[in-house]
Amino acid sequence: MNAIKSQIKPLLGDWLVLIASLIIVIFLFQSLWVREPASKLKIRLADKVIGTYDLNQTRELHIHGPKGEAIISIQQGKVRFKQSPCANQYCVHQGWLSRAGQVAICLPNQISLQLMGAKSPYDSLNY
Amino acid sequence: MRFFFILVFSFLFTSCVQKEPIHNTQSYVFGTLVDITIYGEAEEKSQAVSNEIIRMFQDLHNRLHAWQPSEITTLNQAFARGKTPVAIQPDVATMIADATALFRQSKGAFNPAIGGLISEWGFHKDEFKPIQVDDHKIQNLVQANPQITDIVIENGKAFSNNPAVALDFGGYAKGYALDKALAYLREQGVKNALINIGGNIIALGQHGDNPWRIGIQHPRKPNAIATLDLPSGWAIGTSGDYQRYFELDGKRYCHIIDPATGYPVQNIEAVTVLIPPQNNAGTLSDVASKPIFIAKPNGRNEAAKAMNVENFLVIESEINIQVSPSMAKRLTWSDKDTAKHVAIIQP
Repeated sequence: MNAIKSQIKPLLGDWLVLIASLIIVIFLFQSLWVREPASKLKIRLADKVIGTYDLNQTRELHIHGPKGEAIISIQQGKVRFKQSPCANQYCVHQGWLSRAGQVAICLPNQISLQLMGAKSPYDSLNY
Repeated sequence: MRFFFILVFSFLFTSCVQKEPIHNTQSYVFGTLVDITIYGEAEEKSQAVSNEIIRMFQDLHNRLHAWQPSEITTLNQAFARGKTPVAIQPDVATMIADATALFRQSKGAFNPAIGGLISEWGFHKDEFKPIQVDDHKIQNLVQANPQITDIVIENGKAFSNNPAVALDFGGYAKGYALDKALAYLREQGVKNALINIGGNIIALGQHGDNPWRIGIQHPRKPNAIATLDLPSGWAIGTSGDYQRYFELDGKRYCHIIDPATGYPVQNIEAVTVLIPPQNNAGTLSDVASKPIFIAKPNGRNEAAKAMNVENFLVIESEINIQVSPSMAKRLTWSDKDTAKHVAIIQP
C-alpha cells in the first residue's frame, strides 16, 4: 500500500511538466484563437460594417446601397466590384484587390472594400 | 494549486487586454469617404468624439456646398447680381480672407472663385458624365477673370466687384475641416488619432509605439505606390487626375482646372504635399498641391517654393516620378520597379 502511494505522488518535475504544458496550451490558444488569419475582407455600407469575410473562397455578395445593388465577387484570395449601379464605374475599373491594406471605394453607392491582413503596411491611404 | 489558477487567469486576462485600443469610424461627407481612427482612448469616448467630428463635418459640408442651396450658393447669387452686400457668417468671412491670402501666395493658381468654370465642366454634380464643353463659353468665363480678391467684406456683409465670381471651396473645405477636427481632438484631450477626409490626412500622436503610417495611392493601380510615416501634427494631401475625372475620345479630363486657361490640367497624374505642424496644416495640405499640379513642368519647383512646401512628390506617369530631396528621404517605395523611375528634383 505504502509503496503504491509513493509512486502516485507527483514529484516536482511532474509539476513543472504540467505547468509548462499548460503554459504552452494557453499560449497556442491565444495566438491561434485571438489573432486574425491573414487574408480577410471588410465590407462597409455607409458608416456600418456589413461584415468581415474570408478571402479564401469563391463567392458573390449582393449589397444594396443608396444607388442600388452592387455585386462583389470574392475569388480565392482576391476581390473586386463586379457590378455597380454608379455612373462612373471607378470602383469596377479598380479591378482585383489582393494585398492587405488595399481599398476600393464606391462613393456614390457608399460601399467600401478593405483588405485586412495580419500586417497591413499602413494605417490610412492618401489619394 | 492556487499558483496554477493565478497563472491561468493572468493569461486569460492578458488575452483580453491585448486587443489594440483602436477605434475606427467611417462616414460619407463632403461627397467622399471620411475615416477617423482614434488610438488609446476608452471606447465610449472615441465613439462620442468621432460622432461629434462627423457632425461638424456634415455641418461644414452643408454650409459650404457649391451647388446645393448653402451659404455659399446664397453668396454666389448675390455676387452675380452685382454689388449688393449680403450678410456673411464670421467664420466664412475668415475662410475667404484666408483663401485670398493663399490665392496671392499661389500667384492665382489657387483660385476658389472659378465655380463658374467648374460648373461648366460638369463637375458640380455628385456623378458627372463626359461632356463636350463649349469652348466659347470657357473663353468668356476666363476673360471675365473672376478672382477671390474681387470679394469685399465690410461690417458682416459681403459683395463682389466682379459678377463672375462664384465661390467653390472644393479645394479648401476638406483641409479646413481637418484643422477644425484636430483642434477639437486636442480640446477633448485625445492624444492619438488619424483623420482622413477623401485622402487628405492629418495625424495626432501616434499608433502605439510607432508613428502613423500612410500609404500613397498609385494613380493608375489599386495599391499604394509608396508609404511614409506621418508624425504628430503633420498633414498630407494629394491632387490627382484619378478621383474625379471623365474620359472623352480617349482623353482624360480631371476636375483640377487651370484658372488661366479654363481647361483641366493634363499630362500629370498626381502631386502629393507633406505639411509640417502649423495652425493651418490641414488647409495647406489641401490647397498647396494645386499650384504645383497646375504649374508647367519647369515651374513646379517655383510653385512649391511660393507655397513654402519643402516635401512634395510629382507623378507625371508611371515612368516619370519626381520627388523633392527631403521627401525622398521619407518615402518607402512599394516596389523596385517604381523606385527605378524616381528622380530627385534639384532645388
